[in-house]
Amino acid sequence: MAARIQFENSCEVGVFSKLTNAYCLVAIGGSENFYSAFESELADVIPVVKTSIGGTRIIGRLCAGNKNGLLLPHTTTDQELQHLRNSLPDQVVVQRIDERLSALGNCIACNDHVALAHTDLDRETEELIADVLGVEVFRQTIAGNILVGSYCVISNRGGLVHPHTSIEDLDELSTLLQVPLVAGTVNRGSEVIAAGLTVNDWTAFCGSDTTATELSVIESVFKLREAQPSAIVDEMRKSLIDTYV
Amino acid sequence: MVGSRQRPETATVAELRPQLGLPANGRRRRRRRLPFTRRPVAEATVQVDFGFFDPKPGDFHGVKLLLRSYLGDREWDVSGFVDLILGQTTVGTVVKSESPEGEEQEEGEEEEAAASGEGGESGEAEDVGPYAVITALNLGRYGTHQCIKELKNYILEACCEDLMKKKKLQLMLSGEGAHDVGLLVCERFVNFPHQPVSPLYEGLFDEVSWATEDEPTQELRDSFRFKSYLILTRIFMTKRRVSEDDESIVYVKAEDEIFLKLCSLSFTVDLPRKEQVVPPELKGYKEMALFMVVESCKVPAFREELKSFLLED
Repeated sequence: MAARIQFENSCEVGVFSKLTNAYCLVAIGGSENFYSAFESELADVIPVVKTSIGGTRIIGRLCAGNKNGLLLPHTTTDQELQHLRNSLPDQVVVQRIDERLSALGNCIACNDHVALAHTDLDRETEELIADVLGVEVFRQTIAGNILVGSYCVISNRGGLVHPHTSIEDLDELSTLLQVPLVAGTVNRGSEVIAAGLTVNDWTAFCGSDTTATELSVIESVFKLREAQPSAIVDEMRKSLIDTYV
Repeated sequence: MVGSRQRPETATVAELRPQLGLPANGRRRRRRRLPFTRRPVAEATVQVDFGFFDPKPGDFHGVKLLLRSYLGDREWDVSGFVDLILGQTTVGTVVKSESPEGEEQEEGEEEEAAASGEGGESGEAEDVGPYAVITALNLGRYGTHQCIKELKNYILEACCEDLMKKKKLQLMLSGEGAHDVGLLVCERFVNFPHQPVSPLYEGLFDEVSWATEDEPTQELRDSFRFKSYLILTRIFMTKRRVSEDDESIVYVKAEDEIFLKLCSLSFTVDLPRKEQVVPPELKGYKEMALFMVVESCKVPAFREELKSFLLED
């Protein structure tokens, strides 16, 4: 199911959080409402970790990750890196990478199997994405925008892309990613999908300005209505740790 | 100003209707084009045109950005508040820039716009978000909206020290009293030039008086007969004793100094430390919220002073 939330007075929840099938990162410094919205949905299932990256709260746009790994920019401090390594499940490889384009969340859109990458990423970074995240990497643009991580959000079950994506591009991307895609908006017409939405295979969080129509599109393309966390977690039970302190 | 020409403010909208691509209609409502020169740091002068537009639903994201910290860190129904502002098209203005390159683009865009059947308005200013917004909202008319209720609570909570003032405010904000109060909202980006500010306020007060005659129903006409205006704003104050006894104040918006002089009631409130954003050149100053009530009979005096106040370069 999809939930509408706010970070302070901002509807850009995808900027202040990062949700995957194995963990959830949340920015520190927001109100308790924001944190508890994630906790209430996810606490029994996956760890919800409060963190900063490079001392900032815009963690959703700086890091890229899935159930296999988490990539952090070079601006991440050692303490933050250690904190994340300690808090996340052992199966998740946490790696800090040296890439000039440090807003990895804006440059990379990924699910557990495939990733779209900014066309100007280093070759080494591309290899690291493939290794750490365990995905196949495709360099693409979305509706002419190179910031694929900002204008598209994908899970293992579906994806939402920039509203001006043409039908041909949608078909092409859908074939590459092997998931159904829909062009749409979030937060009452905002085209920056990833800023307003964060999603995994069974739940999604979007900004409170999101209209009922947008919400129903999100729930249908990501197949959230039928999804129950227990089904997915049972598959992943071995890779999740038992107790979280 | 270096290298600038003083261009007279464009005359009546009726004369400009064909050029602006507006349909001819009888309403006094307008789109004014007021050219202003903004002086940048280097010695070259950049000509920037600001357009004054009626609020429309498409401005939602830009206006929301301007109003995001209207009540500071407080979580409240900002979106609802923005909707109220954008829904009131007869009183209220949104300022957008019309870029210099717009001149060349205009021809092509107008052709496209004409072909797709849209007005010239949407073609030009679409991409550049609002730089400023100004409006006056009747607290009685909109009193049932969640955002206005939250706003009233915020004001009453803030005014906890002086019980007399709190009583006065309570009378103003609740029941019948609220119908006479207009919430005057003016938010703009920090680096917005001062030249358009006076026309902005002129436009607002003109619109309010036109609305008292032009609105379709008596109820609506009466809703714009404000007896007083309520203003929420920010200032910087220092506790350091300078030569005078007064605490020295730095006004984020220059017109607040005039409002403060003319107001019938005002109080300041410390902001929680998290909300303090003090620029380095204002070290020793504290950012504070300032609340003012200005009687509408003082508006003509305000308009006069504002004109001369802002002309001093």
